[in-house]
Amino acid sequence: MNFLKWCLPIVVCAWLGQYLLALWAPNLIMEVLYYQAGEQNGYNRLFISPIPDATARTVVRPSPDLIYAICVYDLSEGPVSIQALVPARYWSMQFYQMNTDNFAGITNQRDEQNLIGSVLQVTLIGGADNADAYEGAVIQSPTDRGVMLLRASAIGDYSASLAALESSQCGQA
Amino acid sequence: MLKLTIKLIAAALLAVLLAVLLFLRSISVGLDSMNLRNGDWVTSAATGSKDAGVMLKATVAIGGLLASTKENSMYYRLSSIAGEPLSLNCRYRIEGTDYDANWWSITAYGWDNYLIPNADNRYSFNNENVMREDDGSWTIRVATDEQHGNWLPIGPAGAPGWRKLGDNDFDLLMRLYTPGLTYLDTPVSARLPTVIKEDCL
Repeated sequence: MNFLKWCLPIVVCAWLGQYLLALWAPNLIMEVLYYQAGEQNGYNRLFISPIPDATARTVVRPSPDLIYAICVYDLSEGPVSIQALVPARYWSMQFYQMNTDNFAGITNQRDEQNLIGSVLQVTLIGGADNADAYEGAVIQSPTDRGVMLLRASAIGDYSASLAALESSQCGQA
Repeated sequence: MLKLTIKLIAAALLAVLLAVLLFLRSISVGLDSMNLRNGDWVTSAATGSKDAGVMLKATVAIGGLLASTKENSMYYRLSSIAGEPLSLNCRYRIEGTDYDANWWSITAYGWDNYLIPNADNRYSFNNENVMREDDGSWTIRVATDEQHGNWLPIGPAGAPGWRKLGDNDFDLLMRLYTPGLTYLDTPVSARLPTVIKEDCL
């Protein structure tokens, strides 16, 4: 009886605890990525990663068919300006907040093919900022910190994709 | 009093340990089942989305960090065939054709969620580099030993074995970039490649 008196609360707490861990894990994993990438490549800066191979172990499940460029952003000092040349082959610009939500994205596919060949100018602002105060394409980040990821096709001759990423920028507005 | 305090601390530690084990089990099961099944492939319509549940978000963070929402890309994972986990001791054949997406790829990942080291540095096939038959169909052979045609090499994952949680040695991930409405609206019945186990050691 005494054993059961202890067992039940332990099992209930453990059952609830797994959900607390699940709530906490995405933020923790993003914090680790944010810190590692930020310290290694700088904050509010675009960093182009080599095409993933078996040695790429920063982010799980990298695609070997894509080139990635990452910008870990911090909007506490003000908006961040992103410039990106949109190549002809697959390309996307995705924004993630610190709980891993993919809260915004732009691609050059389907209805957005008209972007191909253009230089996209995006102003990334914080959740408390007034989007109407900015001109052009504005993306509002729910949190001051997050990650912007550019993906571009690395299939076959990827020189145009690489050149597009190399000419892209991410920096304090 | 001291005895009770020790008991409480021991109970708290046990609860934390049990919570961690339950969490890891949920993640492992979550990766295997997601919430939508299409044959042996599994996917989730909420991956990357703010609508994803607590456990799915944790599962994606651990097994697919920085995944996009389905409008940009859909991810179908296959880690077992008819309930039998994918094994390095077996050879597999993937048969397919083309799919309603701007482009697609099939990548093999070790149980540690990273690309599998191999001498050929071959980790995936996609709609452009896969060798096809005259009718456009294709076959990819997944095995540790060299195969003719489209050979997708597999082997031991790069991480130490004691960290392995699930039963499968590796898995296959199909990415469909900018998928068509078939995948967005009916992900459980949309056409996908067939994976067949050929033989085992």
